[in-house]
Parts: sequence; structure tokens; C-alpha cells
Amino acid sequence: MANGGAGSGEVFDVRKVRRFVELMNEHDLSEVDLRQGDQRIRLRRGQEPVVSVAAPQPAAPPPAAVPAPIPAAASAAVEATEEDANASYVTSPMVGTFYVASSPDSPAFVNVGDQVGPESTVCVIEAMKVFNEIPAECSGSVAAVLVSNGDPVEFGQKLFKITKVG
Amino acid sequence: MYQRILVANRGEIALRIIRACRELGIESVAIFSEADRGAHYLDLADEAICVGPAKPADSYLRIAHVISAAEVGNVQAIHPGYGFLAENAHFNEVCRSCKIDFIGPKPEAMSKLGDKNAAREMAKKANVPIVPGSDGVISNPDEALRFAHEVGFPVLIKAVAGGGGRGMRVAANDLALKSALQQAQQEAEAAFGNGAVYLEKYIEQPRHVEVQVLADHHGNVVHLWERDCSVQRRHQKLIEESPSTSINQKTRDAMCEAARKLIQQADYTNAATVEFIVDKDGKYYFIEVNARIQVEHPVTEMITGVDLIKQQILIAGGEQLSMRQKDIKQKGAAIECRINAENPARNFQPSPGKIERLIVPGGFGVRFESHAHSGYIVPPYYDSMIGKLIVHQPTRAEAISTMQRALAELRVDGIHTTTALHQDILSHSAFVKGEIDTTFVERMFSFG
Repeated sequence: MANGGAGSGEVFDVRKVRRFVELMNEHDLSEVDLRQGDQRIRLRRGQEPVVSVAAPQPAAPPPAAVPAPIPAAASAAVEATEEDANASYVTSPMVGTFYVASSPDSPAFVNVGDQVGPESTVCVIEAMKVFNEIPAECSGSVAAVLVSNGDPVEFGQKLFKITKVG
Repeated sequence: MYQRILVANRGEIALRIIRACRELGIESVAIFSEADRGAHYLDLADEAICVGPAKPADSYLRIAHVISAAEVGNVQAIHPGYGFLAENAHFNEVCRSCKIDFIGPKPEAMSKLGDKNAAREMAKKANVPIVPGSDGVISNPDEALRFAHEVGFPVLIKAVAGGGGRGMRVAANDLALKSALQQAQQEAEAAFGNGAVYLEKYIEQPRHVEVQVLADHHGNVVHLWERDCSVQRRHQKLIEESPSTSINQKTRDAMCEAARKLIQQADYTNAATVEFIVDKDGKYYFIEVNARIQVEHPVTEMITGVDLIKQQILIAGGEQLSMRQKDIKQKGAAIECRINAENPARNFQPSPGKIERLIVPGGFGVRFESHAHSGYIVPPYYDSMIGKLIVHQPTRAEAISTMQRALAELRVDGIHTTTALHQDILSHSAFVKGEIDTTFVERMFSFG
């Protein structure tokens, strides 16, 4: 999703986190630990910037300083390393929710390493209560699945990386 | 009140709606086509979702994608802006069936007033004067002559299925009427596949004067006075202002009250604009209702101090109108110039491309509504309007003076715009004297 904002499931949005980091730099703080209700965010500045974001959880206490990359930054990093001449991408032709299988009990349509052809169904996207099977529209082997089961996806979003064979 | 709203539009109106949401503490979800990816205004929304490729039919008009974006974005309401899906009753229905509020009228009210004939009938019933017209299709020259003699020449022949000025002919006497009728029928057949025509009295030197109305879900309906939109070229508005110089206070009161009553009797809710035509004798006739917020709404906002976009959201959310009719006053004079990315010297050829540098005018009484910025690339796929320059001063003369100053400050380097044309229009003696009708621009200015 562009401009990763506070999506339906996320607690902290990217802009707020970025702002905290800015403030830390401005005031030369090395560590910030904020808590509100059962939500917590802890940032430590140093050689390896560490961000831990704890979503509200009923049981176990959050582990200390677990690196949890911000989703927007992560996908940018992933994209930067994945451009190569042999790769093509299956992109979403619609706005909706991505599912790897036709139902919760079914096996995934494709897994990493599978061969696909143009007509191969690689996933379904649910939009307005209608489940649409999405064809690969290219040939090759599935190199990576770029979104997770149940993720909202927008038009044009990269779903699978396919590497051409030979 | 809503927690999240989807802004089903782009450009300056999307920015306008996002701003209203921010002030109301409502999260906004913006949509964009691939051509609008990276536009700065999208950063002001809480979330932005790509809904398709550049072509409007594949993105902003693609109902399935827009509704999906609303569902994925977890919104309770959609603001359609103007254009695109704003007056699409089917889209309105789809929103309703998906349990998402459409910020505008109910589908039934939209359909009722959107049908030109039905609207005319309602106006007649409400004793609002309408342009005298033949009651139905005119099929032969004798019927045409009878009607023309009844209402008086000149008469306008219009295609029933028509639009964009096609299938229209003016006839000034009996002889002209016979041939004009035939020509109009042939043109209508060719253009729309339907040669049926009807007749209307032709209003000479017409002024376009429209009335803004707001209606909540609790039976409260108010008008927010008028806007004069007579400065047009090929039925496209260039400049709008309030108050109108072509009506006196008595006419103003009558026209605005007629508009208010019409909306009330139609059980219409949210924002609407009732359009009238005013003839050279100051008599007004109902034309049609626009069941949406309009481009030129800021003119009314400056004059009355009412934030119309916020009011739309509040009304849709079930709030009662906080103002009463007697509280709504016209204060001062406001003028709006539409800044289009077009080259007037080449017949208004669109001028998309990169704005190398944008310098926005400011100062007392100046308001600039635009999504553009230095470095912004105006895409070629959409409406050419890149901004609206609005001024508000205590008198019309001062407003003209401020607008001239602001237009001179405005710099849009890298593309052509209509800025210089506005400067010419505003300095024309006819405009300064307030003597303009809808033929003014085409008569006074020759292009390319």
C-alpha cells in the first residue's frame, strides 16, 4: 500500500515513528521508550538503529529490542535488491484482499519454486465479496511471494516475482 | 461522526476534501491512478490506494475498484467530489448496498432531480418559472410554428437526447424555423441516433446565475445566495462571482427562496446548486439542478463564511445544520478564476507537462486552491484545471483590483495557462461594469 499509513491492523503508523526518530536526532536522545495503555514503542539510537513496536497483546511481555523493520522501508529494501533482467512480476489488476489459496483449508495455489504458465492461477483477490482468480500472465518459476495471506492490495501492486527459465 | 472517509476524486478537490477531514478529525483515504502516483497532496491523506491505470474509465470511474478501495481502506463514507462518479446514481446505490455512506443526496433524490424533464416538472409544480418549452417532442413544422408564435421568437430547437450543444439551432422567424427544425433533427439523428427534438424560448443575452443550497437529514434547508457564472467559453465556466451584478435584491430574494423551496419539496439532502438563466430584463427561469458540490463552491464560502465541504460531511453524518436562513448573509464580493493548463492562443489546446516553478499569490483576501507545486507534472488524462484563484473584498471593485494583483503574482512556469486571459477579461470595461452575458467571452475575445 502506498504511503503506509495506519492501516486497519497496525497500531503505530510510519509517519509517527519517523517523527520520533527525527525528535531523537534533534534532541540527541539515545533511547526513547513510550507506553500508552497496552501499546508500547521503544527506539534506541546507536550504531544499529533498533525499533521495536509492540501491538496490544494479552499474554507474553514483548521481548526487549527486537528489530522489527517498518513495513514500507522493508518492501523498499526488498525491491532494491530484486531487480534483474530475468524477473517479471505478477501485479494486482484490482484493489482487494490477497489470498494464497481458494479457501482457508486448501493448499496454496503456488509455492516458491513452482513453474507457472500464463494461464496458471497464482492467487485469488477478493473484491466486494467476489473472489477473483488471478492468472500469472507470464511463464517461469515462482521466485518470491511478495505479499502475505490476507493483505490488502492495490492496483499495480507486485504480488509474485517470477524468474524466467533458461 | 465518521472515523474514516474515502476521497473518490483527484487533484484540487481531493485536496480540499482531505483538508476538511483533517480539520474535523476524520481520517482520509485517498485514491489515485498510476498517472497521479507521487502527487504531494496524497501525503496529506492517512492512506492512499492505487485504483488503476491513467485512463479515468479504468481508475477513477471504475466503481468496483473504488468500492474495493473503500472496503480495504475501512471507511464509513465516500466523498465523490465533483465530476467522475459524483452524479452517478448507480454508484450511489452501490455505496448504499455496501453499507457505505455516499456524501451527497440519496440515490432517489439524485435520479429525480438529475432527470431534466422531471426537474422542470417539479419546478413548474413549485411555481418556479421555467424557460417556456414545448410539452414534449415536436415532430412537424406546424407544431413548431404554433409553439413559436405562442412564446415568441426567437426559439431554440434542442435534441431530446442531446448534449454538448449538438443538435441545437436557433430560429428567429417562420422561414428560418422550418429549415432549422430539419437541420436540428438530422444532426441529432447523426450524433445521438435519436432525431427527436423539442423547442424552448431562446433567451437572448442570457446570464447564468445559480443558487447554492444545503439540506440536512432533519428537514432543514437553507440557501447560501447566488453565484454568477456568465463568463464562459463553450459552456465551460472561466470566472465566477458573487453577488451577481445582473439581478436586483428583489429578484435575488425571490430566486434564492425559489431554489430553497424546490430542494425542500424534492426531499433532497446535502449540497445542491439550482441553475437559472436570467434574461436582459432581469427575469429568471429555472434550468436544472446540479446534485453535487461544484467547482466554484469557494465563492460562496468567502461570501457567507460557511465551509461547504465540512457541511457536506456533517450533514451526511447526521448532524443538524447549525445555521438558520436568517443567519446567512452575503458579505462583500468574491471572484474566482479557474486556472487551466491550456493555451488560449492555440484554441485552448491542453498544455500538460512539468511546472518548473509555481509561485502562489497571497495577501489579504486571496485564496488559492490547488494541488500543484513546483516540479508537479500535469498529466494529460484529466481535466485541465490545475487551480482556482479566489479573492474576497468588501466591494466588487476592490475584488477586481485584488484579483489583478494576485493574477500578476501567480507564476506557473513551464506550461501554458489561462492566467493572461483572466487578466484581459477582468480589465475589460464590460466586465468592470458588470455587463456580461454568456456570449461575452466569445464575442470579445478571438483565440488562435
